[in-house]
Amino acid sequence: MIGTVPKPFEEVMEALEGYEKVAVVGCDGCAKACKSGGSDEVAELAERLRSQGKNVVLEVTPERTCYTGKTHTALDPHEKELQDAHALMVLGCGGAVQITRKVLEDYGMIKPIKVGLDSVGHMDTLVMGELALEQCQECGQCILNETGGICPMTKCAKSLLNGPCGGSQDGKCEVDSSRDCAWVLIYNRMKALGELDKLERYMAPKDYGKMAKPRTLVITERKVI
Amino acid sequence: MKLTDLFDKNEFVFTSEVGPVKGCVRSNGGPKPPCLVEAELVKDVVHAVNVTDNQSAVMRLGSLAASVRLKQMGIEPIYQLTCRDRNRIALQSDMLSACSLGVDNVLCLTGDYTSLGDHKSAKSVFDIDSVQLLKIAQGLNEGRDMMGNRLTKNTDAGLGAVVNPNFDPLELQLMKMEKKIQAGARFFQTQAVYDPSIFETFIEKIKHLNVPVQYGIVIVKSPQMGKYMNEHVSGVTVPEWIIEEMGRVDKADRKKKATEITYRLAKEIAPMVQGIHFMPLGWSDVVVQVIEELKADGI
Repeated sequence: MIGTVPKPFEEVMEALEGYEKVAVVGCDGCAKACKSGGSDEVAELAERLRSQGKNVVLEVTPERTCYTGKTHTALDPHEKELQDAHALMVLGCGGAVQITRKVLEDYGMIKPIKVGLDSVGHMDTLVMGELALEQCQECGQCILNETGGICPMTKCAKSLLNGPCGGSQDGKCEVDSSRDCAWVLIYNRMKALGELDKLERYMAPKDYGKMAKPRTLVITERKVI
Repeated sequence: MKLTDLFDKNEFVFTSEVGPVKGCVRSNGGPKPPCLVEAELVKDVVHAVNVTDNQSAVMRLGSLAASVRLKQMGIEPIYQLTCRDRNRIALQSDMLSACSLGVDNVLCLTGDYTSLGDHKSAKSVFDIDSVQLLKIAQGLNEGRDMMGNRLTKNTDAGLGAVVNPNFDPLELQLMKMEKKIQAGARFFQTQAVYDPSIFETFIEKIKHLNVPVQYGIVIVKSPQMGKYMNEHVSGVTVPEWIIEEMGRVDKADRKKKATEITYRLAKEIAPMVQGIHFMPLGWSDVVVQVIEELKADGI
């Protein structure tokens, strides 16, 4: 999922300065899982905005706000309220905000679309409702086959491909001693698999061309352009 | 002068280290900056001086400019080059620049992480790692860039690398060391080690690699510095006995005590290695004294 955390309320109010009528749009996908933008959080923010004098004209939470179709399904019945709103406040990832903007443009509406969350990465849920961890950065060139299923691109602060730096101590990272050194994890895993010899192989520099933004995924052709 | 030539001639190689200043060095402006003063101090007792590359991720005068200044003073620089701040284009270009400006030795490192320095919000680059950097540098020595394009003239750098004998599991660090050798490293400087038995274990395990190694030692200047290193410098352990010994003497005698401890460790470890690399952090006069004593011992 895409990890999200709420922006400070003052920042939300600042973004909405000058807009009295507000529509709050959440996301019942990732943002719900992060407890930052599901229907509960949408209701909570709407209440808070009302207490600050805003007129919340719509509360709506598409099933997945980053899907154009699902956002249309949720917003289509509310064109009137959206027309009435001076601005939209989206509790979703950056993608959700931009899909919401696109959907409004489909209606022929040019409205300020504001964001109430900060997106913080591709997150894997370790404990549901409690803890998620970044383990993949979509580099377009997966090397997990070579590293025992542990990604040094993401789990090593320096994204080192050929082994650890000298700063690891007691299996922890020099950048943050509460974090495991990715290469010690990889070493232990490969040792347990009896495949340590595979770590001796030279890993060539990554092709960062595969991460050149913005990427487009052509699903029908199963390729990125 | 390449350090690799000295090792080939079986010279016992002494090197020291300076950190460029946070500011400019001008020929006509004010007093000589500490990095040049320090290099001048050790000039007659060391073969070369490492010039750090924005050490600890603290922004300073560039390692290349300071290396060239040393060269102009008749001091052989070892140009430290890290992967933290430059992508593969900049790294290769800087190696060509270094060669063009007369730098003969390049020490290829990963680099301390950005958040440990004074520009914590800077974007870390780490486009390539130190093993890849060595391989690329070896390619430049052979006349081609990493994409295989021919150079009008090849570089001719003595390529060095670093290794941390304190690392646990050591096998993992040695795996990387072997990769560095295969990539092009021709000599190694170690992270600071204060336990001769740790160093001995390391040396035993790398004997078959037949690569020159310089024992690395950071001069511990005070008990506070020892404690600070233990708390904040990952990958190094200053043993209690050093902290205690430094703490037992008056402030005025600390330099003398640091000289004595550094000499003691260097003397014990010297027979295991092909050279010693001192990291004096401002106490270059200690390096001079220690080397003179070691030389008097026939090292």
